[in-house]
Amino acid sequence: MQFFGGSAAIGITPSPAAPPGTATSLSGNNANMLYIFNRNGVCLLYREWHRPLRTLDAQQDQKLMFGLLFSLRSFTAKMDPTSVDKGNLGVPLLPGQGCSYHSFQTNTYKLSFMESPSGIKLILVTHPKTGDLRDSLRYMYNLYVEYVVKNPIYVPGSAIKCELFNTNLDQYVKTLI
Amino acid sequence: MGREVAESCVDAVVIEMVSAFCHNFYSAEPELAARRIEAIGYQVGHQLVERYTMDCPRFTDHLEAIKFICKEFWSELFKKQIDNLKTNHRGTFVLQDNMFRWITRISPNPLQENTTESIATNDDNQTTQTTSMHLYFPCGIIRGALTSLGIPCVVSADISHRPACSFVVRIKA
Repeated sequence: MQFFGGSAAIGITPSPAAPPGTATSLSGNNANMLYIFNRNGVCLLYREWHRPLRTLDAQQDQKLMFGLLFSLRSFTAKMDPTSVDKGNLGVPLLPGQGCSYHSFQTNTYKLSFMESPSGIKLILVTHPKTGDLRDSLRYMYNLYVEYVVKNPIYVPGSAIKCELFNTNLDQYVKTLI
Repeated sequence: MGREVAESCVDAVVIEMVSAFCHNFYSAEPELAARRIEAIGYQVGHQLVERYTMDCPRFTDHLEAIKFICKEFWSELFKKQIDNLKTNHRGTFVLQDNMFRWITRISPNPLQENTTESIATNDDNQTTQTTSMHLYFPCGIIRGALTSLGIPCVVSADISHRPACSFVVRIKA
């Protein structure tokens, strides 16, 4: 009755991410969203291909994502059972130090993460059955270097507004399994 | 020749040189900046062609020299040859490169749905301006190379179809 049909139900239960091969949006992309942050927390790029559920506005969404990455990073470093030298736990960690996580998975999506030595963080959200996406993230980082860093018009530290980069990125995402 | 440098370094130096001359040194006079960049290219072309023609015999006529520029010289610089060479046999040559490496990465801002006409044309202007600034350096290189081979000339660039660009060489009679 009202429990199932009411409008209150919409927007709370997230719809499951589409399995590969089904044409969800116009282009049948296989990833949901991509975020790129630089080392100061500025969101350089946010691109979405398939996102039916949106809980926050864009600004808060990005701040929340960056905060999550930062906390996850120090959490994983502190919980590391193998490292003998704990070092200074209060000091912010450099990109290569400590142990670094690369993905977490829920029953509806998988979030993969990669951080470059220069502090550029790539976050890719896909459906849960994806394999290890570290190579794909590395390829996307190469695309960033080729089309954004080497573009004479781009100002480092600002949002990425590069036609070539967007086109190549969309093309690559279509080939992800 | 022992030592090598990464290509990205050369690309980055060229980008920074153009940007420094356009924004820092001669920001009020783009004409002067263009002339300085072309002069730097002239020096570079002059010296490079000395190095690359060490073992070659003298060129018999203008066409041979231009063909050398299109094939060996361009391959040494950009790892590819000039794709198309046209001439009117009266001292004008057009060298066309379909994928000129220093301007392939220049990319305009993507068009959004609510961009107004003026903003769209502004972005386009900026792309065209940046592209033409980046082409003064290779024009200078070609001019320096040909002058060093004994052929005084004037070189200009034409960017009607990006990323293909043409260099027009006019030999002074």
